[in-house]
Amino acid sequence: MPRGISMRSSLRSRDSSSTSTGVDPRERVKDCCRKLVAFMCTQVGVGGLVVGYAIVGAFGFISIESQVNQTVCVQDDTRREYANELWLRTASNQSVNVFNQTAFYVVSNSILQRYQENITGRKQQKLNCNGLAPQDVWTFPAALMFCLSVFTMIGYGSLVPKTQWGKGATVIYAVLGIPLYVLYFLNMGKVFAQTFKWLYTQLHECTGQRKPGQRIIVPSTACLWVIFGYIIVGSIIFAEWEGWDYLDSTYFCVTSLCKIGMGDLVPGWSHSTEDSQTKLIINFVYMLLGMGLIAMCYNLMKEEVYVKARELKEQLNQVMDTIHYKLITCCKSEPTD
Amino acid sequence: METDRTSRSSVSWQRGSYRGRSGRRRKRKRKPWGERIADWIRTLIAFLFSNVGIVCLVVGYTIAGAFLFIYIEGKISLDVAGDVIKLRNSTAADLWELTSKENVFSEKLWKEKVRNILEDYQTTIVSSIKNGYNGMKETKWTFAGAFLYSLTVITTIGYGNICPKTKWGKVATIVYAIIGMPLFLLYLSNIGDILARSFKWTYARCCLCKCRRRPYDAASARASEISNDPAAKRDRWPQIVSTYGEEIDTSSLNVEETLPRDDDNGEVNGSDGDDEDDDDESDSYDPQHVTVPLTLCLAIMVGYIWGGAFLFSTWEDWNMLDGSYFCFVSLSTIGFGDIVPGEEIYSGHAFDLSFIMCSMYLMLGKFYIYVYDASPFIICM
Repeated sequence: MPRGISMRSSLRSRDSSSTSTGVDPRERVKDCCRKLVAFMCTQVGVGGLVVGYAIVGAFGFISIESQVNQTVCVQDDTRREYANELWLRTASNQSVNVFNQTAFYVVSNSILQRYQENITGRKQQKLNCNGLAPQDVWTFPAALMFCLSVFTMIGYGSLVPKTQWGKGATVIYAVLGIPLYVLYFLNMGKVFAQTFKWLYTQLHECTGQRKPGQRIIVPSTACLWVIFGYIIVGSIIFAEWEGWDYLDSTYFCVTSLCKIGMGDLVPGWSHSTEDSQTKLIINFVYMLLGMGLIAMCYNLMKEEVYVKARELKEQLNQVMDTIHYKLITCCKSEPTD
Repeated sequence: METDRTSRSSVSWQRGSYRGRSGRRRKRKRKPWGERIADWIRTLIAFLFSNVGIVCLVVGYTIAGAFLFIYIEGKISLDVAGDVIKLRNSTAADLWELTSKENVFSEKLWKEKVRNILEDYQTTIVSSIKNGYNGMKETKWTFAGAFLYSLTVITTIGYGNICPKTKWGKVATIVYAIIGMPLFLLYLSNIGDILARSFKWTYARCCLCKCRRRPYDAASARASEISNDPAAKRDRWPQIVSTYGEEIDTSSLNVEETLPRDDDNGEVNGSDGDDEDDDDESDSYDPQHVTVPLTLCLAIMVGYIWGGAFLFSTWEDWNMLDGSYFCFVSLSTIGFGDIVPGEEIYSGHAFDLSFIMCSMYLMLGKFYIYVYDASPFIICM
């Protein structure tokens, strides 16, 4: 990969130098345009494919998951039931004296405990007890985020298919989508890496530090700073929107970009208003761009890390060898002496 | 990765040769055969150690993470559970207050007020669930639970069925993930490489044996001079080791006979180069000539997923679809966390079979994914 990049950049530089000395500017512009179109077609094509795949998947999952009429439990009803029960068991019950405090405590405490277990169990099973039907949960942006979380392997898990068909469709969707995503990842990484390299070179030229023949390697610290800045921007955005504190939103950004995807914090998932839908869309864009940035860093840092790792390994080997040699000579000298 | 491996193996070889020679000096006249076997074993151990070391590192890192998270998160969950019990008592007291002071004989009024109290109670409980209360008195952060949590973090599965609730837990998760993921990738590339190679080798042995004679056979023919039995060929690593062993023997014998004792460093390097060539030859041979067909890889993947589905469906009362859905979601590192095996893992009975099997399944499964990953890339390159 790095060899390819360097070759391409060298080719391009030779190209530009030859055209600058040679033919008329119109040809050059045409050439540039042609290159640009080809470039857009290949790279943006993949991006468009990914987005299109996500949209198709979103519609598919909406249609699959909305078919089922799930029993929607409403917390209100349960609360009324338990209040009723409390009344029956305490105030209207003859055996429980209303003036006997301990008896009242025992009965009401047991009822409350059952109530609490009921609520806890529902929360644990992630049943939707907010009175929302599947049609309301599977809005388009939510389904889009679900698709994204499937094929980027983040897997938030805050919205999951409940039906058999939905599960099967998820598996197939992931099987097809993950290679596509990997393609996107590699492509975007290349594009971003080239752009970043170009920017970096331009910066160098502006400051005048660059000598003409020098090949510039982007240092890995620069990549790390870019990622760091991206995470900080994301955490500020999400913190402002969601009212999270900054630690929470940083945690969200890092776990999302690392593809861990705990799913305990997801922006705009709790309530499906118009506002939260735009948030989900922006989250979608943020994630896709972030993956591209990570791919860029991967691309740029690979070479350097590889070289450094080899150096380290060689040094380590040398040290080990010398230690070994010393040890062996020690051992050798011992029995003979 | 190729050069990595060659350099490592050459180093391990070199080490073996040093040791082997010193061993020979000591007991050369006694046992040439036992010596040779010892040499092989030593090389094998050196080889194992380089990989086993990484495995140990990852496992140790996960265990350390488990203790860290238990230390950070364990206390707070217990506190929350205590708070919930207090809350229940206070709500019962409220109810008593209501009944003793208000009019008990108007059912409607009474129920209205009780409903209000219950609503407050419910909102508090929901918020405490968000803070980590899970309905049980004991915490989810047992050793097994925390171990699985660390594992899901560094493998980037991230089920999210248990997640840190405290500030320090979140910070620790971020740092832990940033350090752990490269480590796990290293581990994966190491072990996956071995697995892919051995799989390829097995495939080559099983399926392509009769097609044509390959350069590798020519290389290994030398090795089979010592061990002529075909059973030795069945395993690749002993075979390679035996090749090395043979060369160690011959080269170092030459050194002994031709050179004075102090010059052995240079000679070792020379034979090292020779050995590297050999290794390169077999390495370059492997990916170029044996391409395991994609369908076979896919079949193995599907088989692995089905096996896991069968295993989990017998344990957990899931149906086959749920089981394979879980396996797929886990192995592709999506990790929704809506279906997670072993509630008993989190409820405190550490180290039962289910837990061990679950973590083994995840770790091994990643290798299979790696094998599956690696083969198309090798074909591409």
